[in-house]
Amino acid sequence: MTVSAEVPRLAAGSWLKELQRRRSGNIVLLFVAIQVVAIVFALIFPDEFRYVSLGNVQLMLKSIPSLVIVVLGVNLLMIAGEFDLTVGATFTLTALIMAKLFNAGIPLGIAVLAALVAGAVIGFVNGWIVVMSNVPSFIITLGAMWFWRGVILILSGSVTESFYPSQFFEKLFTMNLGPIQVQFVWALAIATLCWLLLERHQYGNYLFGVGGNRKAAAALGVNTNRVKIIAFGITGLLAALSGVMSTVRINSISPIQGQGLELQAIAACVIGGTALTGGKGTILGAFLGAALMYTIQDVLLLLRAPGHYLQMFVGVIIVIAAVLNEAIKSE
Amino acid sequence: MIQPADAASQASAPGTPYIELRGITHSYGPVLALDGVDFKVHRREIVGLVGDNGAGKSTLIKILSGVLQPTRGEIFVDGRRTTFNSARVAMNCGMETIYQDMNLIDGMDIMRNIFFGREATHPLGFLKIGEMKRTAMEILEKEITIEGIRSPHQLVGNLSGGQKQAVSIARAMFFKNQVLLLDEPTSALSVRETQAFLDHITRLRDEGLSVVIVTHNLFHAYQVADRFVVLSHGKKVEDTLRDRTSAEELTRIVVGKQVGGPG
Repeated sequence: MTVSAEVPRLAAGSWLKELQRRRSGNIVLLFVAIQVVAIVFALIFPDEFRYVSLGNVQLMLKSIPSLVIVVLGVNLLMIAGEFDLTVGATFTLTALIMAKLFNAGIPLGIAVLAALVAGAVIGFVNGWIVVMSNVPSFIITLGAMWFWRGVILILSGSVTESFYPSQFFEKLFTMNLGPIQVQFVWALAIATLCWLLLERHQYGNYLFGVGGNRKAAAALGVNTNRVKIIAFGITGLLAALSGVMSTVRINSISPIQGQGLELQAIAACVIGGTALTGGKGTILGAFLGAALMYTIQDVLLLLRAPGHYLQMFVGVIIVIAAVLNEAIKSE
Repeated sequence: MIQPADAASQASAPGTPYIELRGITHSYGPVLALDGVDFKVHRREIVGLVGDNGAGKSTLIKILSGVLQPTRGEIFVDGRRTTFNSARVAMNCGMETIYQDMNLIDGMDIMRNIFFGREATHPLGFLKIGEMKRTAMEILEKEITIEGIRSPHQLVGNLSGGQKQAVSIARAMFFKNQVLLLDEPTSALSVRETQAFLDHITRLRDEGLSVVIVTHNLFHAYQVADRFVVLSHGKKVEDTLRDRTSAEELTRIVVGKQVGGPG
């Protein structure tokens, strides 16, 4: 006989426990808490702090996708235990390639494809050097970042390249669906694809395995090098896609764009619960981590604080995460 | 030809060994880790592989599990010459290794660990989660006798050493591997867990599995092994049945050969 065991428990706080038990529970709580605080303040000071105004919400929803898409790739790579500091340079370089090719009269489709392929290739090359040399990816991609930044300056001649594609293409990435710009829908779609890959595909299993315990993964017959190289490729591809989408939205690409994006992406992942040491992370966490980065940036702007505060915040977050990681390990 | 002439002089059970290594040599650069070692495992046999640090035990296990390829020497599975050029090939030949640092992934749940590298997938590589979950439940109910495991979704990182060991062994059992290679299996276990583990090993042998157990603890090995192979400085210095030796004598061989050793 089934007696009380089946009675749904609705006791206060049980949903909270359930949420915290989930891998992305903490970031969901943090995200909601910060939103609640921001909204409450916005309601108390509607004139000084216009957080809930339609204009501000729309701006945030427009700005979030480009970081989210980069973060989704970096997140997969960090789960596999690697870093990519070139994503900012990849973002800019690939967008620049697209704009240059298009402005030189090459069909738009080919220009976009070239940008995406270039992104994936940059990623594959990073990955290949990392697995062949066994040097930490942080160092390899730090070098690669400087290299590609140099290429960007040569290619652009240090001037901003404008980009005015066809109406259709622009609509594809910039039209409004109600209050939401379609870019946000793209970000959601890509996040869903990443989720399917990470949580429902064999490859996602390997990402966790390679990052969590590389020796075990190798002993169980997984080609860990291949898993990592593919993860680098995906990261480069998504950085390129983000660069393309962002350039369509703002109709230009400047050579200094995307600077600092690499660390913002790592910070977003870390806020979202992805381990700096690999083997741990969720798509929802990375998504909300990226959204939170923009929320904080937005709040700083609304408070008329200089933008550099975000830089300081990113730096502090990464250091805190690294220290906490070490503390947890030595426990 | 029947059996090689020296087969009778070596301690062995009758029949073709399930796995046999002949003249295995392995060097890491200038360091000779294994020097012409012959090693075999019969069906339904527990072999204790013992020796001091640096004797070459772990190298031998890695060769058996396909992680390392020998510099020289031959491998026979069921009498057929084979090359273990990857962990996957060795696994397909029935080898399952349980390393001292555990071949489990802490950040993943039990179900995903059991199927890691051998996932049930749809044609495009998407996981058959439902099927794996059902099977994992069955495995947990049938194979794991160590308490405290309730659901296939428990994170492996939250399990005790004994529970992890149990998951590793359950995995090996489920995939019907013939030879369990255990590298220092008791080092992470409590006293109580160690006893349960050794009993479990014996039961597995009785059910038809072969086991190679590498350990520092000769007394643990002596409790379960049918035969002992002692390595010293990369060479095999003893290969004897349990009945013909004692834990004390084995200790003397391990220690003695390390100190003096024939010049």
